[in-house]
Amino acid sequence: MARINRPVSRRQAWWLLATALAACLPLAPQVPPWLSVAAGMAFSWRAVLTWRQWRLPPRWLLVLLVIAGTAGVFLQYRTIVGRTPGIALLVVFLALKLLELRAARDAVATALLCYFLVLGQFLFTQTIPTALLACLTVLITTATLLAASDDRPQPQRQLRRAGLMLAQALPFMLLLFVLFPRVQGPLWGIPQDRFSAVSGLSDSMSPGSIAQLSQSDAIAFRVQFKGPLPPQSQLYWRGPVMPAFDGRSWRVAQTLGAYPEVPYTGLGAAVDYEVTLEPHGKFWLFALELPATLPPDSTLTNDYQPIARQVVRNRIRYAQRAWPEAIAGVNEAPSILRSALALPKDGNPRMRAIGAAWSAQYGTDGAAILAAAENLFSQQLLIYTLNPPLLGPDIVDEFLFDTKRGFCEHFAAAFVFALRAGGVPARVVAGYQGGEVNPVDGYLVVRQYDAHAWAEAWIAGRGWVRIDPTAISAPSRINSNFSAAVPAGEALPFLARGDLAWLKELRYRLDAVTNGWNQRVLGYNPQRQRDLLASLGLNEPDWRSMTAVLSVLCGGVMLGLTGWILRNRLRVDPALTAWRRFAVRLAKRGIAWQVWEGPLAFAERAARQAPAHAADIREIAALYARLRYGAAPQAADLTQLKTKIAAFNP
Amino acid sequence: MRLPELEAIQADINRIILGKERPVCLSLACLLACGHLLIEDLPGVGKTTLAHVLARVLGLNFQRIQFTSDMLPADILGVSIFDRDSGAFHFHPGPVFSQVVLADEINRATPKAQSALLEAMEERQVTAEGKTRALPEPFFVIATQNPTHQIGTFPLPESQLDRFLLKIELGYPDPAAERELLAGADRRQMVASLTPRITSQRLVQLQELARQVHASPALIDYVQALAAHTRTAARWQAGLSPRACLALLAVARAWALLDGRHHVLPEDVQAVLPGVISHRLRPTDDTARTDVEAVAAALIEAVPLP
Amino acid sequence: MLASLRHRLHEAFVRWALHVRPPEPAPIVLTQRRVYVLPTPAGLAYAMALGVILLGAMNYNLSLGHALVFLLAGLGIVAILHTFRNLVLVAIRPGRCEPVFAGSLAQFDVVLENRRPDARTCLRLFMADETPIEVDIGPHASTVATLDAPAHKRGWLPMPRLTIETTWPLGLVRAWSYAVPDLDCLIYPKPAAKAPPLPWSGESARGASRDGRGADDFSGLRNHQVADPPRHVAWKAVARQQDGPLLTKLFEGAAAQQLWLDWDALPDAIDTEQRLSILARWILDADAAGLAWGLRLPAVRLVPDNGPAQVSAGLRALALHDHGAH
Repeated sequence: MARINRPVSRRQAWWLLATALAACLPLAPQVPPWLSVAAGMAFSWRAVLTWRQWRLPPRWLLVLLVIAGTAGVFLQYRTIVGRTPGIALLVVFLALKLLELRAARDAVATALLCYFLVLGQFLFTQTIPTALLACLTVLITTATLLAASDDRPQPQRQLRRAGLMLAQALPFMLLLFVLFPRVQGPLWGIPQDRFSAVSGLSDSMSPGSIAQLSQSDAIAFRVQFKGPLPPQSQLYWRGPVMPAFDGRSWRVAQTLGAYPEVPYTGLGAAVDYEVTLEPHGKFWLFALELPATLPPDSTLTNDYQPIARQVVRNRIRYAQRAWPEAIAGVNEAPSILRSALALPKDGNPRMRAIGAAWSAQYGTDGAAILAAAENLFSQQLLIYTLNPPLLGPDIVDEFLFDTKRGFCEHFAAAFVFALRAGGVPARVVAGYQGGEVNPVDGYLVVRQYDAHAWAEAWIAGRGWVRIDPTAISAPSRINSNFSAAVPAGEALPFLARGDLAWLKELRYRLDAVTNGWNQRVLGYNPQRQRDLLASLGLNEPDWRSMTAVLSVLCGGVMLGLTGWILRNRLRVDPALTAWRRFAVRLAKRGIAWQVWEGPLAFAERAARQAPAHAADIREIAALYARLRYGAAPQAADLTQLKTKIAAFNP
Repeated sequence: MRLPELEAIQADINRIILGKERPVCLSLACLLACGHLLIEDLPGVGKTTLAHVLARVLGLNFQRIQFTSDMLPADILGVSIFDRDSGAFHFHPGPVFSQVVLADEINRATPKAQSALLEAMEERQVTAEGKTRALPEPFFVIATQNPTHQIGTFPLPESQLDRFLLKIELGYPDPAAERELLAGADRRQMVASLTPRITSQRLVQLQELARQVHASPALIDYVQALAAHTRTAARWQAGLSPRACLALLAVARAWALLDGRHHVLPEDVQAVLPGVISHRLRPTDDTARTDVEAVAAALIEAVPLP
Repeated sequence: MLASLRHRLHEAFVRWALHVRPPEPAPIVLTQRRVYVLPTPAGLAYAMALGVILLGAMNYNLSLGHALVFLLAGLGIVAILHTFRNLVLVAIRPGRCEPVFAGSLAQFDVVLENRRPDARTCLRLFMADETPIEVDIGPHASTVATLDAPAHKRGWLPMPRLTIETTWPLGLVRAWSYAVPDLDCLIYPKPAAKAPPLPWSGESARGASRDGRGADDFSGLRNHQVADPPRHVAWKAVARQQDGPLLTKLFEGAAAQQLWLDWDALPDAIDTEQRLSILARWILDADAAGLAWGLRLPAVRLVPDNGPAQVSAGLRALALHDHGAH
């Protein structure tokens, strides 16, 4: 009978093994391979011990193994704090905890470790499959907790009970998720290692750097336009602006002055949209040219680029407005113009010579030099390709006059060089161009292969003017999309291919689901919470009112659940219910029915005490006795009993 | 809708056994439930008369066996005697071969003689000298025993007591009834003047009718609850057996029939409960054993109706 | 000091929690008002783990981390409800309690009734510091749980306070309640390990046979055994029965010696408890030998007899010696 203070049973050991496996498997790609192997060996060891019912290893051995595991993690990462080392350590502890399960307490500790590891998965990815996998892990872990209390039921019954309890926990989860006052992280120290390996534009551009990006179909950001979609050729998503050139690479300016607000005014129609930016580990925010507003917590650099105050580590969302036809920088500061004219001391002699010739011919007429440069580019019959040949030290000359094959960074770099050589201030702008509308949810999806680079020239009286030299040679890159511009036969990212319509359709749907997930679930932040509560009529919600609403609603759910859980599923005989009502009426008259008293005996007693109602009482008792104890209770009798009792008023 | 014949029978008996309506009714119920009756009481309170009257009004033949300590089984069951004319043994049936048997002072006989009768009661047949002979139908034994541990008695073992469906006490009549008894005519003559109200075939039919009285699930729950309580509560030494529950239900059915109903009510169960449990249930506290009614009431009040 | 304060506080809480002055009338139904719920150490660890997960989720802005914490928090709340439900409205009735000798364990039976259509799992019952026992109760069923308590002193031992608790299903929350069922155990005196031999030849032994009757009273018949004297054969009865076995006449008082276990027969130097111990030993020895015996105590006198009823009556008299009527 007594099952107290028992050691972990065999069945419980299997459960714990299953839950540890469910918690560790999704993390296998994230931890070093040697750890995966070691954890797998520990699990197998435990399985053999359980199966053969052998004794657990001695404690000193486990201590040694813990030390060895920690040392291994330290050697791997040179630290044991941080995300990945922390997860790796947890895996080490979990694997070794399994080998020293002695009491039920250890089982609870193991289950808690598994819950932690579920959180660990989310540090790496928060996609829908991850969430589903995490649900499975939580289910198994909960079933393991159940088994730690009572290991007798069959596994499917444990799982069913765990599922039931989690289902009952769901309303609480939803309420808390929506109403729990959210705090924008991070709470302490900047978690440096999160999103350390994401793809995206970098702060410098050299030949081949954007072409490399074009092999990735990862999403850079999504855009939802408030109005109609602007033409594809207007979709220039302004990213890092790179005025500095060292002969090979273009870089962003070292010292960035900042405008507190937009220093230009718009012309023509504004475009309103909302960007959901995937984390990219850099400061800049992408905006349609030219940004008319600034996202929260950001400034505009003096080359018109929105910069966030903090590195973009999370998926963020900001509403934006753009003036496609804005005129900016007519009165540009001389220092900026100077930096937009700087060229290295030597290199690219051919282009320099042509530039000097333009300068001599047109003087300070920037527009004319610009036209000459465009002319030069179209005459050169440059070829837009993903696989440009390698270039020597004079990258502009070689590209323009020898190889004549390049990707957008070649075009932009060469064009800006040409303008500067001609004495026109110019700079390289990196960013994204175009995007693809998902017909399922209407979002414009901009992927890494949409990365682009173009040129910006300063023309007196007109300010900064965008010129896209790629468009001169490959207009389809701008007007349709990237894949259309690339010559047939070149390797394209899977999603950029045009064939396989059904696959594309499927991808649209999946992407719409993912976007919905990102917007509604992952993107639920303090701002969204405020908006939602405001839309629900809770204006200016502070944590107090939110907590109040949350408590009231949680209390309501709890009451509902209590009622459901404590419900009496007993099918009570309706005759008995009616009889009890009758007894209550008589009890008010001071004639109490004893729970052991038969109906007729009670009726006799009651009739003696209330002679005025004797006939009624006797009749009701006889009806009830017949209904409850008779051979074939009649429905008519029940109706009669109910009406009699309803009319009975002593 | 009481059955008139049963009412008439009760009236006849109550005319002779004065002021004992309840025991009379119980004994009749016991008979209708095809069980045997054990009366524990002092001599002279009318046990014999009751047996006589019952046999008389029901049209049954009657035999009385006075148990003594030197009694042998053959004295009850009968013997085979060598018949010189036919040259063979001839079985002479004993007093047990009658429809109503009054076993007087059963605890005076040795266990051997007692068990001969009790086995016959249980089996409703007699096996003697290798031959099995059926007892008449209906077959009803009224046994009496002296209440206290009197000298030279062999108390019936508990297992044997279970063969009696009911155990009742007659007790002294109340003063009014006693006065009437003293003033009235001779009981013997009155018994002799009685005429049978029904035939024995009709009695068998009535017994069948009693068996068919409906016991609803709620009532069976109640009987179970009563039994469960006796099995676990500290007040009793050992709980009611399933056989005791069956007995309780059978007597309650007959009691309901006597009341003119075709279904059993908790009241029926409660009414017959003292008689059913008094020889089956032993309270742990010996002092409480004396008052059967109080013991039954305690049980009834401890178990709510389901 | 702290421990004793804790103990006193606990006792005060229990007195308050019981609501009714013990012992309580049966059945004791554990209503909502008397079932208490608090987290177990595992539950506290769980709550702390949730706190840490929440901090992590906030720091890394993990929406799914928030969802995980909230789901697990909901699970904790649901666990409270399930645990509470597992215990609430259990009905407790006192069961049997057989008398035991002092120095052994008194065994109290309590009947746990489940009036619900689904089972109750892993209810733990214990009294004071005794080892808990764990029981399940099926739907609409009852279970008898036997609880041990050490019996130190002869007399009536009231059932100590019963704690009934459960941490099912998740072990994170403990629901518990107290009950004092109305149940007493009769504790017999501990039989002396060393006792004088049975007091055969007391002044009362010979001559005065049972009920004072003569030694030749006929008392019944039984089957003849080879050792029976031939003059006791019931020849008349044999003649009446065809081929019947020989029967032997029994006479009262055939067992000539009567055994009286007498309080006063023991030397004065022996104190009360020791005296009772010796008498208990004698009763057991006499019963083991199949003898009929009588008992004389200052206030009680049992006529000679044998059998279990006599033994229990005798031991009961010893147990309640000087305890007044009970």
